[in-house]
Amino acid sequence: MPRLYSFLLANFLLLLLSGPRAFAHDPIFGIGPHVLFKGGLETSLHLDQASAGASKDSEVVLEIAYGITGDWSAGIELPYVFRDESTASSNGTSDIELFTKYRFWREDSLGVQESAAISLLVNVDNADEKVDPPLGNGAVDSVIGITYGYESLKWYRWVSLRKLNPGRNSAGFELGDKYLLDFAGGWRPKPPVYRDPDTVWLLELNAEFADRASLNGNDIADSGGTEWFLSPGIFWTSRNFAVKAGLQLPLTSDLNGSQEDSDYRFSSTFEWHL
Amino acid sequence: MKVFLLVFVTSLFGWSASSLASSNQYNLRVDGLACPFCAYGIEKEFTRTKGVVKVDIDMVNGLVIVTTSTDKTFAEAELSEIINNAGFTMKSMSQAGH
Repeated sequence: MPRLYSFLLANFLLLLLSGPRAFAHDPIFGIGPHVLFKGGLETSLHLDQASAGASKDSEVVLEIAYGITGDWSAGIELPYVFRDESTASSNGTSDIELFTKYRFWREDSLGVQESAAISLLVNVDNADEKVDPPLGNGAVDSVIGITYGYESLKWYRWVSLRKLNPGRNSAGFELGDKYLLDFAGGWRPKPPVYRDPDTVWLLELNAEFADRASLNGNDIADSGGTEWFLSPGIFWTSRNFAVKAGLQLPLTSDLNGSQEDSDYRFSSTFEWHL
Repeated sequence: MKVFLLVFVTSLFGWSASSLASSNQYNLRVDGLACPFCAYGIEKEFTRTKGVVKVDIDMVNGLVIVTTSTDKTFAEAELSEIINNAGFTMKSMSQAGH
């Protein structure tokens, strides 16, 4: 299949499951304002899968982050992706992602923390685009975000807004700008005890608004649109180890032209703070 | 044998008392403690400080109890900075020597 044609067909289902997303009690599909403690090292492993019609993408991601100060963290994600489309499949290293998050506001009271943060993620263009389907979109993209979070011993709530700023690849192909709006809530059934296992149940409402992709400045009709998801999840921790898992289920969609609706997205994270 | 046991037990108590006497305890009231996984940062920040023997955290009451050897003392500003580096806010502190 010609390289350009495969770009047009590629759905890049997992592009926006990108980080920064570990960081303790942040939502699973949205982002939250958590950062690492100063000098802290976080290592995490993500297993993700997304399906839309005949397309299915899976990835294993190693994430490493460092707490530069008590309010500022930065890290790297190294993804390995398995792409399966109706006529072809491929696998290999996908685009490496560099990210940073800065918590610019924090208000603490007894058993409650409210905070807000901004984030930036840039994916470098290192993936192999010559295979079919391509393992990256062939461009350097960035995602900027802002998020607010309220955490208490029993209840959690977050809201976040992110914008994907896609780059244009050498073939003139460019994904459309994409906005992600996330609302999330969490509930802890039992009061937390330090060093004891702790469970928080999560429910997210995620919306995605995408402009049309373009080829040499001309919009591609079968691209872009709106999707809404409802996403139950769980966050389980034991001292400095955490497991997060969530399922993103489509609620409604209004996609432009002829496109496959999302079937589901699954994300899980195994995270250590060192 | 009884004399030996008596001497042993007495020495044990003596050692325990001496070991208890050789520590300081700082009781910190900390705001923002909402999850134990995040609170691990407090333990980590303190335990990388030389002289800190033990760190206990009471999530519900917002208490951090730091035990140090007697030769390690903290100024209030130092404690506040450590708590801040962990991502929380220290409201007050009290010191109890053993």
